[in-house]
Amino acid sequence: MNKKTLTILGPALVGLVVVLILLYSTRATDQGAELYAVHCQSCHMENGQGLRGVIPPVAKADYLSIHRAELACLIRYGAENPMVVNGKTYQQAMPGNEQLTETDIANVLNYVLKSWGNEEKPLSLQEVQNQLEACD
Amino acid sequence: MKAKHFLYLIAIGLFVVSCENSKTGSNKLPVLGTVEEAQYQFVNQDSAEVSPKTFENKIYVTDFFFTTCPTICPTMKQQMLRVYEEFENNENVMLLSHTIDPQHDTVGVLRTYAEGLGIASDKWMMVTGDKKEIFDIAAKYMVSALKDESQPGGLVHSGAFVLIDQNKKIRGYYDGTKEMETNELIDDMKVLLNE
Repeated sequence: MNKKTLTILGPALVGLVVVLILLYSTRATDQGAELYAVHCQSCHMENGQGLRGVIPPVAKADYLSIHRAELACLIRYGAENPMVVNGKTYQQAMPGNEQLTETDIANVLNYVLKSWGNEEKPLSLQEVQNQLEACD
Repeated sequence: MKAKHFLYLIAIGLFVVSCENSKTGSNKLPVLGTVEEAQYQFVNQDSAEVSPKTFENKIYVTDFFFTTCPTICPTMKQQMLRVYEEFENNENVMLLSHTIDPQHDTVGVLRTYAEGLGIASDKWMMVTGDKKEIFDIAAKYMVSALKDESQPGGLVHSGAFVLIDQNKKIRGYYDGTKEMETNELIDDMKVLLNE
């Protein structure tokens, strides 16, 4: 290999490595996915299917669009009353997650809104903040 | 291929076969304890009384949970549903889930929960009763599972499925939050039914 090819190939290789590291690290830090795994998954399950007629699904749930404006409050404060999801009534109360920050809530919601076949528009941090300010 | 290599292959093959045999050949599960002497009286999701007599001549799997538990319980119930579906039509098999929060988990609450799961109450009983009695029986079932005590929530809330045979002997412990261990439980139940 001569000097000329080295001066061209060298930076190209360095660039490639940088790109790979960036790709890898952004994938490893999908905050929403991590938050879901820690705070939601044990009930709503890995694939978002929930538990039969006990815990509602978050995958392909019409609730996400129908109650879009209340999602942030639901995550923070949970719900006591029965919930209707895809036409089915679920009695189980949902615990709140008051330890999650506004950013956490935005991240986990946006993960849910785009996962398991969900194709909902993401919520901006501003929208999440506005929702949280207006919780009942 | 050389003859020598061939011999090696045959030797390896025989070794693998013999290992397989020792795993499934004798087909007996160990006896890890007994609940023969244990007495209890609980009520299930239909308000029916549940006592040791309920499980006469049955093998059963038991666990401890509570309906408002946001951590391991839904996963355990998800896995128990797999066991339920596998043995739904086998009248020699029953499932028994005890609530460890009887104050909240009344018959009505258990009933709603069971209906949500869509389970038959004569096959999978969800029971409530006196809290002390529930914890006492838990200690008897978990007698050999003591090594899991370090888990959060302690022994009773360890997520264990316990397999009991027709003679009320404890024949296995499985982590009810894990799919692989539940598969093992299902396999062991088939072994037990053939004993």
